Amino acid sequence: MLAMWRGEDGPVRIWEDRCPHRGMRLSFGFVRGDALRCIYHGWSYRTDGQCIEIPAHPELTPPKTICASSYPAESRYGIVWTNLERGGPAPFPDLGPDEGWLPVRSLYVNRPAGQVEAAVESFDFGAPSSIRLKNPSAILLGIGSQMEMLLAIQPVNADRTGLHAVVRGENASAARADLARRMQHLRAEIEAEREKK
Amino acid sequence: MTITLYDYTLSGSCYKVRLLLNFLGLSYDRRQMNFYPGRQHKSPEFLEINPLGQLPALQDGDLILRDAQAILCHLANKYDADGHWLPRDERFGDVMMWVMFAGGELMNSSAARLHDALGYKLDVHAARTNAHAAFRVLEDHMTAREIAGRKWIVGDTPTIADIASFPYIALSGEGGIGHEDYPALRNWMRDFRRLDRFHAMPGVPEFV
Repeated sequence: MLAMWRGEDGPVRIWEDRCPHRGMRLSFGFVRGDALRCIYHGWSYRTDGQCIEIPAHPELTPPKTICASSYPAESRYGIVWTNLERGGPAPFPDLGPDEGWLPVRSLYVNRPAGQVEAAVESFDFGAPSSIRLKNPSAILLGIGSQMEMLLAIQPVNADRTGLHAVVRGENASAARADLARRMQHLRAEIEAEREKK
Repeated sequence: MTITLYDYTLSGSCYKVRLLLNFLGLSYDRRQMNFYPGRQHKSPEFLEINPLGQLPALQDGDLILRDAQAILCHLANKYDADGHWLPRDERFGDVMMWVMFAGGELMNSSAARLHDALGYKLDVHAARTNAHAAFRVLEDHMTAREIAGRKWIVGDTPTIADIASFPYIALSGEGGIGHEDYPALRNWMRDFRRLDRFHAMPGVPEFV
């Protein structure tokens, strides 16, 4: 489980969803300024994870060892990417300048990532589409002659997958509602299929 | 005229009514019922008020009403003259449709919570599955609303459709139903919690 948050300074942070104090989910907490506060005892964490305030001990400078555990986080093309291996960078595809991307939607499918990926490749998004790029975490589709849709594939667990879609191009803004609806059909189609072992 | 709410603090259905009473700025007597473990809602005295033995119930002058959704409609109809919470124009049917959804499909989330929190004997797997199916319907609706630049379930301002739907979505974690799959619902809940005169209940975060 992850806690994602954004302080007033801007960048998104991705942390393990666990307060080092009592294990409470940090995603239940709240952001004030550039710090995330745990909902349980109000311990406050700076953007680098370091605990900076313990309300029950206002005079205490929290020791360096009290630090939230973080993952790499990169915002690119309107999507936040991470790497749960921690060692490497977030594996987003290189699509050139990060400009013009509009959100379509996020949606979750109760099927494994492999099945979702295969269905995306052959799905009818309303105009002839082609696969322009593919890596283990994303598919870039050309839709018609004027639009590009990027679908990030997030394996949640063995049988649940998140799909996060953004679009750019000539009529992208007007196409968002229709593409979002088509993604619902895609989800229904995938879930109607029997699970491929 | 005195309004009396037969209330239980931990009930999401009672919370719907308290939310609207607060939004409308109405003062009322709060009759605290011992729902658990006392089962006071099944006592002969309370069955005189509501023969179905369910909370909430509301007395407004001589009128006694049961069912959270019916009570929301009554309060909006009587005390919200400009129709802010229950529009009387073409939005009316749309608002009522989602109010019924809140009293129907969304109550699967309440069932799962009664099972987990108070030990009710029921098919919790079915309740969770049906709750997720209902959440998905509202998630898809709110996604389309977001794309259209709208924040609320119907129209440009919050209505009793939002009030009726909020509690059992916000409280669903207590029945083992997470919000992870529902980004549009999370945005909507955050906006709801920012409303003027909003107040929380145990299990619903106060901080935004």
